[in-house]
Amino acid sequence: MNEAGIKAVEKILVAGKIQNDTRTLVLGIGNNGRSDDGLGWAFLDELEASGIFNGKMEYRYQLGIEDAELISHFDQVVIVDAYADSLERGAAWQPCKPEDNFSFTTHEVPPGVILHLCHDLYGKTPQVDCLLIAGKDWGLKIGLSEDACQNLDRAFGLFKERLVYQLNE
Amino acid sequence: MTQKIAIDPVTRVEGHGRVTVHLDDNGKVDDAFFHIVEFRGFERFIQGHPYWQAPVLVQRLCGICPVSHHLAAAKAIDQIVGVDPEDLSPTATRLRQLLHYGQIFQSHALHFFYLASPDLLFGVDAPKEKRNVVAVAMEHKELAKKGILMRKFGQEIIKAITGKKVHGIAAVPGGIQKTFNKAEQKYFLEENDTPSAKTMIEWSKEIISFIRSYHEKHYLWLDSFASYPSGHLGLVTDDGAFELYNGRMRAIDSKGNITLNDVHNDEYLKYFVEGVEKWSYMKFPYLKSLGRHEGWNRVGPLARLNVSDSMPTPLAAEEFETFKAYTNGNTNNNTMHSHWARLIEMLYCAERIQELLHDPDILGDDLHREGVQRPEGIGIIEAPRGTLIHHYRVDEKGMITKCNLIVSTTHNNEAMNQAVKWVAREVLDEQKEISEGMLNQVEVAIRAYDPCLSCATHAMGKMPLQLSIYDHLGNLVNERSRN
Repeated sequence: MNEAGIKAVEKILVAGKIQNDTRTLVLGIGNNGRSDDGLGWAFLDELEASGIFNGKMEYRYQLGIEDAELISHFDQVVIVDAYADSLERGAAWQPCKPEDNFSFTTHEVPPGVILHLCHDLYGKTPQVDCLLIAGKDWGLKIGLSEDACQNLDRAFGLFKERLVYQLNE
Repeated sequence: MTQKIAIDPVTRVEGHGRVTVHLDDNGKVDDAFFHIVEFRGFERFIQGHPYWQAPVLVQRLCGICPVSHHLAAAKAIDQIVGVDPEDLSPTATRLRQLLHYGQIFQSHALHFFYLASPDLLFGVDAPKEKRNVVAVAMEHKELAKKGILMRKFGQEIIKAITGKKVHGIAAVPGGIQKTFNKAEQKYFLEENDTPSAKTMIEWSKEIISFIRSYHEKHYLWLDSFASYPSGHLGLVTDDGAFELYNGRMRAIDSKGNITLNDVHNDEYLKYFVEGVEKWSYMKFPYLKSLGRHEGWNRVGPLARLNVSDSMPTPLAAEEFETFKAYTNGNTNNNTMHSHWARLIEMLYCAERIQELLHDPDILGDDLHREGVQRPEGIGIIEAPRGTLIHHYRVDEKGMITKCNLIVSTTHNNEAMNQAVKWVAREVLDEQKEISEGMLNQVEVAIRAYDPCLSCATHAMGKMPLQLSIYDHLGNLVNERSRN
């Protein structure tokens, strides 16, 4: 296959897969000063260190209204966040649907509302999926708990399962 | 029988506070208080850390105005390493100013578009489902889109200089850690995903036009709601002009008489003292010469315009003159005019950002200066919400032994309490039922100060605000909470 052919194949969106190019955004939510709340950021650190992802990454303490504008520039968005309850496999995918019913605080806007605003204001509806990672400790500490570290590895595995690898890799 | 009303939490402000209204046995308002119930003790735990960590640690006080804490601390630490503001390199000074204006621009955009605009666009009696920025976004799309991009512009300036939109690092003792490059300069001067500085100036003018026309229609409310005489405090240049980064402290009373005459930063302790009340963790700063009940001042956009003789940038200067003319040049004590003042400051920041982006000094490589170490440093800056004071002392090894922070919202503590008392007496008095709209008016009065309660108490955690009514025996008779 020639170079043009490879590029053409790379651009085909595969259902249920994460496109591995600049049209994809991964948002890591959290606060690494609160132990396992830093899972979203730790995921981005690991993703960057792995060198397998060619899309864009952004760190966030929480989602804000302006993220509706940010995600409007992408076809696919993965939001990675710590989960305060247990998950069967320690990590799980959760699809995101637009939501127009919520109570606003300056500190937190749910992903579904961001998606709703993105469509309403910018006429774009990227595919948004949340990758939840179960945490255990939420105290004032830098560093993940042992359980969270294991769950981070599981989440990374789930992400890699969906990631479309470049044909020339 | 005395009753007490409490709002807990108060919404669309930064932090967790509580409002209580005390009624007498005739159902009339006896008194009202704005309690700040967060506590963190930041001033204590920073002790023992090396001085150079201060600008990094203290910005964790807040996720909205970390840059202000970073820069105020940096200015103080500059003095500890023997570098006064005039000794910083031009590049370091310009980039810190650019960062500061970017911060104020984004913070003011956040407050006006996200927090205050629902009250102005939908009214204080609108259903609570409507009083939020998402409702604004759905019904006023173009306004919302501009608000989002204006905040983004300020955040991108911050990111370009500090590496991150929140909690990045730029200032180091005696300077700044990186310079700007031509690509970054070009990015902000041209239209991209982020609009240009020129567009920010245009949009700032448009928003001021909006608020002026809003004033024409709603002047009866805006000129009276939660208004009361007070002192005003802010920084000014040596010739009395509006200043946000480095100036002298000036205070005036409600009639415009000067009560603090252009005092140098180093002297603040001679003039200020902080009072305490048993019902709040937030202190009450005041001028020693006037005492606890007469010496308190408002700070922030309204105060800054009140204490200034002029505005240094041309377009903001025109708006400043219009603003001053509204009260015939007299001190403006109208709380709700804070929004108008805030938007004039946005225009000023946009003009200064454009000017700095054209300044070749921002591309320089002289980033850092050194001097002879001193035991003490004081940094004072105008943060988005008002005058911010950072004061540190260090031992011979450079470890911090004392830290005193007087943040903007703390200066406004008495002012917010006066605003709450005004609403309690004018709106809640002798009402059998407390409606949602009445509760919101308490919040509207507080919100005009754009308080950051987490900064004021150096607090952390979830930040809802809350209103309770108590009788004269201390029995809770009504309570509303929002999260």
